[in-house]
Parts: sequence; structure tokens; C-alpha cells
Amino acid sequence: MRKYAVIYRSILMENLQYAINTAMGFITYFMIIFIFMQLWNYMYSSPADLIAGYSRQQMIWYVMITEIIWFSARTATVTRQAATDIKDGNIAYLMNKPYHYTLYIMAKYTGEWSIRLPIYAAFSALAGVIMVGPLPDFHPITFLAAIPSILLGITINGVFKLCISLISFWIEDSNPFQWLYDKLILVIGTLFPVEIFPQALQPFLKLTPIYTVCYGPAKLLVDFQTDKLLEILPAQLLYLGLGIILMFFLYGKGVKKLYVNGG
Amino acid sequence: MNARVTMRTNINKTAAIKNQLKVCILSVKYNIMREMLNRVTFLTNIIFMMLNNAAFLIQWNILFHLKKNIGGYTIREVMLLWALSASSYGLAHLLFARVFSLHELIINGKLDSYLVQPKNVLLSIMTSATKTSSIGDLLYGLGIVCIFCFSFRNLLLFLLFTVTGATILTAYALLMGSLSFWFVRADMVGSHLVDSMVNFSTYPDGIFKGAVKFVLYLIIPTGMSIYLPVHIMVNFHMGRLLIVLGFMLLLLTAAVFTFYRGLRRYSSSNLTAARL
Repeated sequence: MRKYAVIYRSILMENLQYAINTAMGFITYFMIIFIFMQLWNYMYSSPADLIAGYSRQQMIWYVMITEIIWFSARTATVTRQAATDIKDGNIAYLMNKPYHYTLYIMAKYTGEWSIRLPIYAAFSALAGVIMVGPLPDFHPITFLAAIPSILLGITINGVFKLCISLISFWIEDSNPFQWLYDKLILVIGTLFPVEIFPQALQPFLKLTPIYTVCYGPAKLLVDFQTDKLLEILPAQLLYLGLGIILMFFLYGKGVKKLYVNGG
Repeated sequence: MNARVTMRTNINKTAAIKNQLKVCILSVKYNIMREMLNRVTFLTNIIFMMLNNAAFLIQWNILFHLKKNIGGYTIREVMLLWALSASSYGLAHLLFARVFSLHELIINGKLDSYLVQPKNVLLSIMTSATKTSSIGDLLYGLGIVCIFCFSFRNLLLFLLFTVTGATILTAYALLMGSLSFWFVRADMVGSHLVDSMVNFSTYPDGIFKGAVKFVLYLIIPTGMSIYLPVHIMVNFHMGRLLIVLGFMLLLLTAAVFTFYRGLRRYSSSNLTAARL
């Protein structure tokens, strides 16, 4: 594991040099949050209204938290870089290195979001407090309890996005599959809590990455309940375990059929 | 004698414009043909982009389930908004995809290969790349307008506003990209503003209030490219149509002027690059 820690540290240090670039990405984040803020402000006729059990403030904070997770995890390492390595044949050089390629990519990805997450979280907290007001019933202890769930959510997202990139072993362009996964998370996951969907659909949604990547961490921050924590954390661990098995399986199968023209 | 010279000059100019247009059309044609080399990837990109856009139908269905009218828009108007937004984006990226990465060419000194060509520099740059998935956006927009609000009048207005919307989006991207001639970091702000123009275009303008509306019509011109055209399609108004056309011409002129002013400042280290 030490070699992956070294990769993680070197990427972390490299990204620290470009922290201002990362902070500039907050402009797009802010624009998107601003749109959603206006949308939810419009949807709530009066501040006392509840939609699916969420007050206006809770709903906006829910969207902000899911977007923080989404923007922190939005790096090209698990998507474009991994897919390009496979398409261009660069994988032939990387697979012979003294590390497992998928874990190398995951270590890089972790190094990247480790910088992005605190930056986005700090800016968002400031913008949220100014524009919406503080998160109702917020306690530092529940925040600490939700941190593992946030970290697991971002990691699960990375594992699944890497799995999609590994499809490039079989088809030339895995991008269209990334779009569909992104839309599943963005359109359904980041904007709406699971409770907003019809009762009959909710059990199915809990089986999708929406539950473990977006809903779980945001729900724990917005409306912390111990029984929810005990439901979400095991689900995330199970999802992560299954994702890692799938990742190793796809990589193992893919490299066996790899054919690279020399050059 | 003078009349004959003037006539010959005019004929030469017309021939040059025709020739330039032919080159632009051929450039786009070859870009698409290059993308079509792998048929499966080409078709997957188009079909999945249409599915990708269709995912937003779920979002709007949920929102309209909560409230019947959002910012003065019913589901029909939101679909029209989406259709126009997708098709304008699609047309702009199908024909002029390179404009959206102009800052990279300027910062990395990659304009040299365009400058040495005996054709219009700006048009050569603009038509030098295409984005396959944009065909999916264009088809999705057309499909939505045919399903949700089809009429001959609507279709004609839709096609007109797809062209004006794509022109405004391209001109805005050109203007923002050209700022890289003066400022190294301009690309960071510029590309965020162009992205914002696209992000705002899929939400009704009725949910925004006060100064934001001013920003959306003049600073990030989503209002002129999408909102106002949707209002015209719902309730036709000749004055508004002229405003959209006038704004488009004004922005295009400003963008072209800024590009050529900036080009005078361009320098590179004689980077050798081949255009394939």
C-alpha cells in the first residue's frame, strides 16, 4: 500500500500548486447552484412549505451538498485519462509497472479530490450561509459522523466511473456510457432527494448509485438520524466492495484481450 | 473603363466568397466523414446524446408534478425551451466546434497553421473541427419540437431561431476565446461564462428576478439566444424578432472585430503543426 500512498501524496502536492485553478471552477459550481436555488425558491410558495418532508432551506442545502460531491469528484483521471490510456495503447506500458493500474488511477483520483473537496466545501458553506441562511439543526458532531459517508460516496463514484472507462477495452469510445451515468446522478440524484419519488420507486432507487453517492451523504448532513447512518454506511461499504470486484474483473478480462500495435 | 474595372472587382469578390463558402462546406463535410470512420462509435455518440438529453424529461416531469406552472412555463413551453437550447448548441458545435477551444490554440501558439493558408483565417479555424454528439443534440431538438408543438409556422420559426441561437452562442464563445489574445487566464473566466450560457438556457427565465434578468439578456446572452425566441414562438411579435436579429448581428460584429484586433497581438514560437 505504501506505493499508492506515495502516488497519492505526489498528486496531492502537484494539485496544491494549482489550487487557484481549482478554485476558479467554483464559478461554474456557483452558477449551477444559483439556478437550482432560484428554481427551489420558486417551487416553495411560502417558506413554511414542506416538499417530501424537506423545508426550503433543507432542500437547497441538500442540492448544494450533492453538487459539492459531484464537483469534487469531477476529474478526468477516472474518465478521459483511463479511457485514453486504453485507446492509445499507453496501457501496455502502464500495466508492466510495479503497481496495479486501477489502484494507481484510484490513488491519483483520491489525490485530486482531496484538494477539491475542502475548497468547494469552504466556498459553498460561505455562499450557502449568505444566500440561504445556516443549515437548520446543524450540529458539528453529526457533521463529523457524515464525513465517512461523503468520502465513501466520492470513492464509489470514482470506482464506477473507472469501471465505465474500462469498457474501452471492448468498444472504442466509452464516453456515451459516462454521459448516461452522469445524467442518472445529476438529473435524479443531485436535484431530488429519494423521498420525492413515488413510494413504489423508492426501493429501486436505493439500489442505484444515486443512494450511495448523493442521497446518503447529503441526507446525513441535512437531516441526521442515527438509524439512517446505520442504514447508509453498510450500503455504501457493500456498494464499494461490489464496485471494486467489478473493477478488477473488467480490468483482468480487458488486459487479456489487449492487442497493441508496436511503435 | 472604370465601370468595367468595378464590375470585374465585384465578380472577383463574388467568386472569392463562393470559393470560401465551398471550402467551409468541404471542411465540415470532411470533419464529419472523419468522425464516421468508426460507424459504431459515431452512431453510439449520436443515440446516447439523444438519450442523455431525454433524461431531463424525468426531471421536468417531477417538477411539474409538484407545481403546474414554473416561472410562467407549462411543460409544452419547457419542451420548446429544451428543443431550442439543444438544437442551437448542436448546430454551433456541429459547424464551429473549434471556436469553443479557441483559447487553447491561442495560448499554445497553434494558430500558425491557419495563418499560412490562403483562405479566411477565422472561417478556417471555426470550421476545422466538429463534435459528433452535437448531431444528437440537433436531432433531439427537432424531434421534441415535432412531438410537442408541431405546426408549419412553429417549425419555420424554430429553424430560424436555431440558426440565430447557434450564431449567438458561437459569437459569444468567439468573443470570450479572443480575450486570450490579451489575458492568459481569460480562458478560465471565458469558458465558465460560455458554459453558464448553456446551463441557464434549459431553465425558464420566469424563475429569475431583478438584476439577474438583465445579466441573462446582455452579459450572458441566453435571453437573446433562447428565452426571447421561445416567447416569440409562443406569442409572435415582429418587434422582438427584429431585436433578436439585431442583437445577433451586433454580437457577431463585435466578436469578429475583437478576434482580428487580438490576432495582431498573436505570437508563437514557430510551433510546427500539421492539420490532418
